[in-house]
Amino acid sequence: MKKTHIIALIVVAVAFAIILSSLSNTSTYANFSTSAKNPGKTYHVVGKLNKDRDMIYAPEVNANLFTFFMIDNEGKESKVVYNNSKPQDFERAEQIVIVGKMVEDEFIASEILMKCPSKYNGNEQDQNNLSYSNESQ
Amino acid sequence: MEIVYEGESLIYGVFGNLLLAAAFSFALLSFFSFLISIKNPLDVAWKKIARTSFILHSVSVIVIFALLYFLISGRYYEYYYVWQHSSDNLPAQYLFACIWEGQEGSFILWAFWHCILGLFILKQNNEWSAPVIMVVSIVQAFILSMILGVFVGDLKIGSNPFTLLREHPDMANLPFVQLPDYLNRIEDGRGLNPLLQNYWMVIHPPMLFLGFASTLIPFAFAMAALVTKKYTEWVKPALSFTLFAVLSLGTGLLMGAAWAYEALSFGGFWAWDPVENASLVPWITLVAGLHVMFINKSRQKAFAASIILLSASFILVLYSTFLTRSGILGDSSVHSFTDLGLMGQLLFFLIAFIVIAATLIIYHIKKIPGVKEEDPILSREFWLYLGMLILLVSAIQISFSTSIPVINKVFGTNMAPPVEVEAHYNSWQVPIASLILIMMCIAIYLRFKKDDKKRFFKSISLSFFLSLIISIALGIYFVFSTVPMYLLLFASVFAIIANFIYFINKLKAKFKISGATISHIGFALIMLGSLIANAKKDVISENVLNVDLGKDFPNNENIMIRKGDTLSMGSYYVTYTGQRKEGVNVFFTIDYFRYNYERSTLSKVFTLEPFVQLNERMGNVAEPATKHFINYDLYTHVTYAELDKGDDEKDEDFTKMEEVKLSIGDTLSTSRHLLVLSHLNSTQDRESLGLAENDLAVEASFYVIDQFGKSKEMKPMLIIKNNTLLSKTEELDEEGIRIKFLNILPKENQLVFNIQERKSNKRDFIIMKAVLFPYMSLVWAGSFVLVFGLIISIRNRMSSK
Repeated sequence: MKKTHIIALIVVAVAFAIILSSLSNTSTYANFSTSAKNPGKTYHVVGKLNKDRDMIYAPEVNANLFTFFMIDNEGKESKVVYNNSKPQDFERAEQIVIVGKMVEDEFIASEILMKCPSKYNGNEQDQNNLSYSNESQ
Repeated sequence: MEIVYEGESLIYGVFGNLLLAAAFSFALLSFFSFLISIKNPLDVAWKKIARTSFILHSVSVIVIFALLYFLISGRYYEYYYVWQHSSDNLPAQYLFACIWEGQEGSFILWAFWHCILGLFILKQNNEWSAPVIMVVSIVQAFILSMILGVFVGDLKIGSNPFTLLREHPDMANLPFVQLPDYLNRIEDGRGLNPLLQNYWMVIHPPMLFLGFASTLIPFAFAMAALVTKKYTEWVKPALSFTLFAVLSLGTGLLMGAAWAYEALSFGGFWAWDPVENASLVPWITLVAGLHVMFINKSRQKAFAASIILLSASFILVLYSTFLTRSGILGDSSVHSFTDLGLMGQLLFFLIAFIVIAATLIIYHIKKIPGVKEEDPILSREFWLYLGMLILLVSAIQISFSTSIPVINKVFGTNMAPPVEVEAHYNSWQVPIASLILIMMCIAIYLRFKKDDKKRFFKSISLSFFLSLIISIALGIYFVFSTVPMYLLLFASVFAIIANFIYFINKLKAKFKISGATISHIGFALIMLGSLIANAKKDVISENVLNVDLGKDFPNNENIMIRKGDTLSMGSYYVTYTGQRKEGVNVFFTIDYFRYNYERSTLSKVFTLEPFVQLNERMGNVAEPATKHFINYDLYTHVTYAELDKGDDEKDEDFTKMEEVKLSIGDTLSTSRHLLVLSHLNSTQDRESLGLAENDLAVEASFYVIDQFGKSKEMKPMLIIKNNTLLSKTEELDEEGIRIKFLNILPKENQLVFNIQERKSNKRDFIIMKAVLFPYMSLVWAGSFVLVFGLIISIRNRMSSK
């Protein structure tokens, strides 16, 4: 066997190992019920902020504690605890992705991703923001 | 009934569409006539047609670019693209940025660079010009098809930048575009996203697109080599273009990193974001291809490997285009483009070139010549080859993890991206980078063919032991948390020292021939800087009062600081002194102090002003501020703030009105201040108040003294005009005190005031995060050294022709 063949084999093996390990490293998108069934396992949960319930952020007491209620895509609601400052413009998010795990009845989020009305690309559906004078003649 | 619209300049759109059609057709014509001329080398006419078509194509593309700029700067809002990206009060320096804010414009920018590179090759007019520009032409045809905006049956091909606002699908059904004078009703364009109104947006995209465009040329050479069956001769002319691609794409990436670090709130310069990764991977394969080209040149072998790697680099650029523009990344990236419904077409573009390249390579691979003998371990080519494979592993790992959304789409799986993104990538990329750096040293000290063992070990041993000692010292000084970090520390120090000694001893410090060595030092400096800055970054705003929930949930990186308060952070004392509004930005002034032991006082070292951009349309955006020193950077970010509502402060923010009667010399204490009524005098400035002879105006002077004994004066005024009492309220904003002079009671010798104080919990505050990045300057120094080294290499190749 040639040296190059041996090296090539090693490279293939490493690449294979990478893919396997990456697969085990990924979390999965889930909802609150799945997450509640597997406490301690990290999930991505997609949902919307429940605007009818209180969002609590009291920086005077604790600048790194923010709690809110989120409804996942299947309509189940859970309290979410985020040990960080409240993200800017949180209320405006159309959709929220939280990364974390269920601990007892609360979802402890380590990360919050917000899908804002197109923060980085200017093509949102804001027809109502269209700046033209609307009075008809 | 046909509506006659007023005030539209339709001629430019017609002209633009004609140019688009011309650019697309001439690209196709150029491709086919070059193809024919290559098959019939004696037929000069076809070659002439081909060259002329490419020139006409390039002129069309350049004029399209200029026309778009003209329309944007002239604010021709009848064109949707102009309305979408330009606005009346946009500063001139951002007008260019409007061109490439959208997908259509950035395709034009990309095509523009292809034309410039193509014209350069056309001018060289050698045996490679025809087949290389043939490849460039067909790629141009694909890119232009993305902005054609024509319908073939029901199939829409491309998104046209000259579409009229009233004909754009998002607008056509709105009632106002049915009015003949709709154009006068458009008050303003939507304008450039304020987030992108940043000088980085002016320089970063052109550089990055030049990088993307320049990967086409080595690919075109590789394809040209296969088509013309000149399997080995292409390497020499292609080498400087490959170097140029490595340089321009690398610079584009580094500029992106600098933008992220300076202006975005990532809190770092590389976040392993899918879009960043998608541009990094082609650079890695390009670097691998470049190094194999050195094997090609010196040993007349491994030509297939370089053809495959250079093709892969270009195809990966197309893949990155697909990822960022098709909308497939969705939630997983912060800076992809808007989905224009071009996914099918982008996929076709990508697959077409995979098929073309793969077919040509498979068809020709057996015919590609090369020395077949084994490489001895002690030879430079062996280590270059090994290094190439390791770079490939790096590229595979990044690509796989970045492609999770694509894998989900194709296989219907439901995988989410890794939870801890940085840790995930670093666990692979740190050891890989270490191996690459060590190989850089071994390869540079080895000769091609077979080297002598004794000579090699003798020449490298000095650098090896010197690096070992230095990295042990650095390791003890810094203390890292994992073994791979120590490995990377040693490897980068080794690469810096070995290359430096090689530069001095072997190359006699001649810059002209030292491009490779200098580039390697630059890369190693970037790695060393990234290692130290990331591994030893120190969140000095740590809020020690809160309960720590363990390392899974870093919960104490933010700290609340009230206006006027001073908190200790790291070796600094930090004061927040207030916010101020300038245009759309609200600046937060944060002063950093050091304790001066000699004078036992705090002395101000510097001031940082992170800001929040008020952005009605996209949401407020916070931008950090960073103070740079040689040995560390101090990054300061306002993560949360109660923004001033402006002048219309609400009454409920103040305590209830209280009437007090005071005599001259009386003192009143509020919760935070002492108020001393010192004297009364009549106002001098009677004229400006418009007072008549019998009218009266008196000012009461108060001293407002705070807890530190600092005092300010307040002069509420009482005016008696036509026998009516008028009071003018005085307010000290910072202290939060309002005084209204109500009446004078001459009998009791007392004055009546209304004194209000702002409720204490409403005091202005911010939540901030401050991070100290040690030796961040190494990253930028390394970037300059890398760019410098590559420029030297290119100049050296160009002059040696």
